[in-house]
Amino acid sequence: MRATENTMAADLLHPLLNTSWRFYALVIAFGSVVASGLAAVSFQAYYGIGVWGIHNPIYWGFGITNFIFWIGISHAGTLISAILRLVDAQWRRPVTRCAEVITAFALMIGAMFPIIHLGRPWLFFWLVPYPTERLIWPNFRSPLVWDFFAISTYLTGSLLFLSLPMIPDFALVRDKTTGLRSKVYGLLALGWRGTTSQWHRLETAMQIMAVAIIPVAVSVHTIVSFDLSMAPTPGWHSTIFAPYFVAGAIFSGIAGLILAMAFLRKFLHLEKYLHPIHFENLGKLLLTMSLLWGYFVFSERLVVWYGNDAAEMPVFWATQRGLYAPLFWTMVTCNFVFPVIVLSIKKTRTILGCALASCTVVLGMWLERFLIVVPPLSRKYLPYTYSSYWPTPVEFTILAASGAAMVLLYTLFSKFVPIIAIWEMKAGEHPSPELEPVAQQERRLGETHA
Amino acid sequence: MKGVYALYPDGASAQRAVDNLRREGVTDSEITVISSAPMEDFEFSHIGGKNRLWYVASLGGAIGLILSTSLVVFMERDWAVNTGGMPIVAWWPNLIVMFEMTMLGGIFATVGTLIATSGLLRRRPPFYDPAVSDGMIMVGVEAPSAQAATAAERALPISPEITLKTI
Amino acid sequence: MAHKWGMTVDLDCCDGCGACITACHAENNIPTVGEGQAARGRAMHWMRVESYWEGEFPDVRLKFRPVMCQQCDDAPCEPVCPTYASSHTDEGLNAQIYNRCIGTRYCANACPYNVRFFDFFNPAWDKPLHLQLNPDVSVREVGVMEKCTFCVQRIQAGKIDAEAEKRDVKDGEIVPACAQACPPKAIVFGDLNDPESRVSRLSRSPRGHKLLEDVGTLPKVTYLERQTQV
Repeated sequence: MRATENTMAADLLHPLLNTSWRFYALVIAFGSVVASGLAAVSFQAYYGIGVWGIHNPIYWGFGITNFIFWIGISHAGTLISAILRLVDAQWRRPVTRCAEVITAFALMIGAMFPIIHLGRPWLFFWLVPYPTERLIWPNFRSPLVWDFFAISTYLTGSLLFLSLPMIPDFALVRDKTTGLRSKVYGLLALGWRGTTSQWHRLETAMQIMAVAIIPVAVSVHTIVSFDLSMAPTPGWHSTIFAPYFVAGAIFSGIAGLILAMAFLRKFLHLEKYLHPIHFENLGKLLLTMSLLWGYFVFSERLVVWYGNDAAEMPVFWATQRGLYAPLFWTMVTCNFVFPVIVLSIKKTRTILGCALASCTVVLGMWLERFLIVVPPLSRKYLPYTYSSYWPTPVEFTILAASGAAMVLLYTLFSKFVPIIAIWEMKAGEHPSPELEPVAQQERRLGETHA
Repeated sequence: MKGVYALYPDGASAQRAVDNLRREGVTDSEITVISSAPMEDFEFSHIGGKNRLWYVASLGGAIGLILSTSLVVFMERDWAVNTGGMPIVAWWPNLIVMFEMTMLGGIFATVGTLIATSGLLRRRPPFYDPAVSDGMIMVGVEAPSAQAATAAERALPISPEITLKTI
Repeated sequence: MAHKWGMTVDLDCCDGCGACITACHAENNIPTVGEGQAARGRAMHWMRVESYWEGEFPDVRLKFRPVMCQQCDDAPCEPVCPTYASSHTDEGLNAQIYNRCIGTRYCANACPYNVRFFDFFNPAWDKPLHLQLNPDVSVREVGVMEKCTFCVQRIQAGKIDAEAEKRDVKDGEIVPACAQACPPKAIVFGDLNDPESRVSRLSRSPRGHKLLEDVGTLPKVTYLERQTQV
């Protein structure tokens, strides 16, 4: 059994210790996209928001769409890591760190957008409650201040949730390498040994963090939805937004996770550790979330259509049959029609099938964020001010750069930290046969090894 | 000396060594078992298991709640601006900020206590063998008294391949 | 008793001439954004005149409605500003404090009347047009929101003059730029807390209605329009 464990450790440490040309190619390619995004952001900070496509009355466009989208993607880690940890689902072991990394980086990227979309971004720190000689505090009644608290709590919690289980793996790398690498990882390992009391404390801390991070995650996207529903804008002022957004976030998060896992499996040769059963299980979760998403969209639109409110109907028709109809129906196909078909049929619920469905879901969820933010602004109460929104190349560059930043950060992370938690995999191995005989009749769904 | 120990290839032999140590009169608080993964299926994994992290987390949450309530109530009163006819101390929005800081308090308390009480942040792990990272389980007595040291020398070599080591 | 500034606009008098728009621009240092930016929907008309066509040919009517910040008592733009840049004064005005604004633009999204405007670029006045700037009104930089203030600089000036002369502000003494410029005198401004002021009496007119009253913003601008059975 030690031999299997040691092979596993060697496999999972391989990306850290060996670098192929593909790594450099990825970093250079995505790094240049990120660099162009940074250039676009600087350009916009210097000249003003006018270089974007927004105008009166559509004052929020791609910036807020991307913000909501990335915060949504960040819900992957919490669901997989925290919830599956709490219910002690063993099949979570290979995927927890992949998921937590998505959360951490998606949150960091998402949290950039409220800063860069400000008219005066250099003053973003005025949202932070601290004693200043200006003698003014932020307005706690504003959803944007709630955003600050929620996202910083979630980011801190997620980074800690990600970092704590990395400590034993850093200790492993410290022991298996020499020289500068060993010293650096030794520092990161904080002197971890692996005594029984340390393991107990770590596992208890992870349980506490899992219990704490789930309500925080739910509250984060709820508060992000409050950015919209607190305004009396027709199409925004809906009480269903809070659960709708959380469900959508978990939905897009799982899709992002499946995609990340599919790429990792291919590029880091993790076929032995990420099995088709993992993708099948996540695919079933994705199917459930797709159905739930369809339910929320239907409920929301039914109430609007049935109510026939004079202010809300122009928004409704704009998305159903008007200017935004092509985007709306693309979104429905991407989020509901295609995933439900592909993921319901067992034959198509393969790794490739799940990955394709996840691609369409990621696209569809971005479209959904766009269609929630922009059409209500384009059809507000006074018909004189009806307008339409056309994004500029600057906004597209920033959007592309945010995606590239995700890939870049992920690539860099998997180079320096084992992307599958080695100690969690070891802990999931069968114990000594004398203590617990291997189940003869029924295999538990999603064993960590065949 | 820093300690006396031996390395075992699997959990069963480590469990036998621990039981041997106990038979020789070594108490649980003196026994150290080090492994590269938590081995909860074995009894020895419960050594040193008691911890009060849940209480610490709750305490941290309570502190977060008190701090956040003070922050929002005092600062809203300090800068009493009329916004849309809402009350100056508006409880619905305040609850949101209070919730977030409560959770943050619990999280910080947990992580801080974990680092403080786990013996982390030490420069060099004093009683440790890198063979643990190859899957060996290290069982021994750290900073032993003379009596515990002799007991360990007798108890630890459970079979010919197991060699006693001292640091 | 404290003042409560309000306004009435008589739609039966308004002929859509746009003098109020021009006067507002001149008084409040509002930049002209240029043809290109105006085509992109970025014109900053704190006061605008909305025109609506009504009826079928040949009974077509063109109706005008000057729309400016309604200075709502229950303003949706105020609670959502994270830096208190949008807040309510004791005299019932919705104050926009440029120095505090960091440009989140949430207030503009919350405003049902779309009367809040954003400086998308740094405004510039080519010489010698910079000489026309009103010294009583600050020039806003890029990234802040701005909107109609009921010419608060004129209100302040009127109050200071009255206090210097140890008297109350007289009804009709404070005149915002739009009211001053309006040829048919459709715009009336004054103290709603004074029941005898012209604006109070006109607000109580049976011809009076408020814009988007059902949204619940409690606007302080009353529109006077003869209601006809069509």
